Amino acid sequence: MTLLETENLVKEFGGLVATDDVNLTVEEDERVSIIGPNGAGKSTLINLITRRLDPTSGDIRFKGESIVGLEPHQVVQRGVSKSFQTASIFPDLTVRENAEIAALASERGAFGFEFLKHRDSLSDVHGVARDTLDSVGLLDRADTVATDLPYGDKRRLEIGIALASDPDLLLMDEPTAGMSPEETKSTVELIEQVKRDHGLTFVLVEHDMEIVFSISDRIVVLSRGGIIAEGTPDEIRGNEAVQEAYLGGVEL
Amino acid sequence: MSEKDANPSAKDALVGGSLFGRWEKLRGREGTVVGITAILVAVFPYLFARAPVVSGILQGYQSLATLILIWGIFAIGFDLLLGYTGLLSFGHAAFWGGAAYAAGIVAKNVSGDPIVMVVSGTLFAVLLAWVLGFLSLRRGGIYFSILTLAFAQMFYYMAASPLAFLTNGENGLTGVEVGSFLGVIHLESDIPSVGGMLLGTWLYAFVGVFFVGAVAVAYRILNSPYGMVFRAIRENEQRAEFVGLNVWRYKLMAFIISGAFAGIAGSLFTIHGAYVPLQSLFWTESGDIVVMTVLGGAGSMFGPVLGVGLYLYIENIVSTIQALTIPFTDIVLIRDFGFYWHLLLGLVFVVVVWVVPDGLWGILNRLRELAVEFGSKAAERLRSRSKGGGR
Repeated sequence: MTLLETENLVKEFGGLVATDDVNLTVEEDERVSIIGPNGAGKSTLINLITRRLDPTSGDIRFKGESIVGLEPHQVVQRGVSKSFQTASIFPDLTVRENAEIAALASERGAFGFEFLKHRDSLSDVHGVARDTLDSVGLLDRADTVATDLPYGDKRRLEIGIALASDPDLLLMDEPTAGMSPEETKSTVELIEQVKRDHGLTFVLVEHDMEIVFSISDRIVVLSRGGIIAEGTPDEIRGNEAVQEAYLGGVEL
Repeated sequence: MSEKDANPSAKDALVGGSLFGRWEKLRGREGTVVGITAILVAVFPYLFARAPVVSGILQGYQSLATLILIWGIFAIGFDLLLGYTGLLSFGHAAFWGGAAYAAGIVAKNVSGDPIVMVVSGTLFAVLLAWVLGFLSLRRGGIYFSILTLAFAQMFYYMAASPLAFLTNGENGLTGVEVGSFLGVIHLESDIPSVGGMLLGTWLYAFVGVFFVGAVAVAYRILNSPYGMVFRAIRENEQRAEFVGLNVWRYKLMAFIISGAFAGIAGSLFTIHGAYVPLQSLFWTESGDIVVMTVLGGAGSMFGPVLGVGLYLYIENIVSTIQALTIPFTDIVLIRDFGFYWHLLLGLVFVVVVWVVPDGLWGILNRLRELAVEFGSKAAERLRSRSKGGGR
């Protein structure tokens, strides 16, 4: 089943075309990576899908329904979650509360009137938060204030928050940006583990080719806002146009 | 100190330690918080206005105690918005003054029953907060603050002249007659016997019940999903939206809830004074509540109440001091000292914000932490010493 599709998606900033007539489809249970040089329009594409930006023209459909015109939180409620390029967490809240916020949104909806209900009674929310922290390996640090975590753990928490929203599609914007080699390694392990445990469909934007080629089912290459190639890792590796245009002829 | 002496005192320290530990566990419970608040509310006017020695030093009086609780309710609600949700409203005078006028107008034209006054004033504030929140929350940051300020000032000017037939314009709403509570109790009369010694007037008891109720409700809100969502919005609004929360509606709810608290307080203010000054809608009232909240400690439950207490104390009592003398002597340090109360308040504010950004409550918290640290260290030392003594 097609989970996500964009149809002739265009985004212009003034005269600059950041997204140029992109037709992208993501099937259920597929891991798709989007690669491309700086300024290729990767982040713009992600921001269009999460409704952070309005498209100039074209359509975005999730599970067959158009999501253009929805608010960002409504898109998340439909099942599209995003992990940010930087550790976008709630710094003064504990690690547990960080996960609970996301679990609250997925279990109890975008808004409720439960302002006189004690949090202790939200056992479903606590359960989801605990399971999520367990799967990203932060359960033993649940009571730590998030800002006190080392950078790598903050990024783990960032992914944890995205997972606690219980998404059908997870968009990951450079999950290893700014990480040390060890942190990168453990994040890749985390992503692979999540892929195994949750059977999650995800779209990955990443610079690190090693990661991209090891965890993707399909790779989409963007250049100057448009798709110049797409295929399996092997096809992309052998694609001369990609090597010329994007990788500058470097042997992979 | 000999070993013999150390042993019994070590035992005492251990008992004290476990009592302290038990207290630390109880401290966060809702029942404990509300119970302690009720006790403090009950003894406050006695200590402030009537107790020997203490009240002599404080120079407090009954009606100021009532006024502190009224503003305290306002500040608790305001802090839900400023301290917890991170939204700086500069227009809360609209809800405070609006509710005060609504309660006064209802008393003059419909019923002077104090409950009816509070209910109608609060309802008016809630509806107004809904509308103004709906309009102001369209913008974030400084624009939100300016919008709230502008809307509140509109109400001030409307009350000053176009609506003068209702509000009595510049003179303020005079001739408000507050009826008796449940038809029998005159609020301004004294409570007989022990109750009177502690609480003073029925009016204080009436306001006190609302204050304790406000603390209970605010504490519950902070421990509800809302408390967590509010802090999440303060910390990282964009992320809150991107985990799937309708940030806009939660912000509107924070605004309306704080408007409701301001409404209860404003209505009680009318009952307290039997008069509504036009000043109650002026922007300086909005500024006062911001200063009180920050002074006491934004983002803490009780800090803002301390801020209210200090602010009103300086405004009403320190300002009446004729000349500042060195205690127990006649040597005058500053003549017309009370005249400079605004300056004193400003200095206190600047020093507190500089030294302890989390306000008076932050100072108390730091003292408590020091005491805990000191206590546990002392207990440890005694324990190790008593072990040595047992050998």
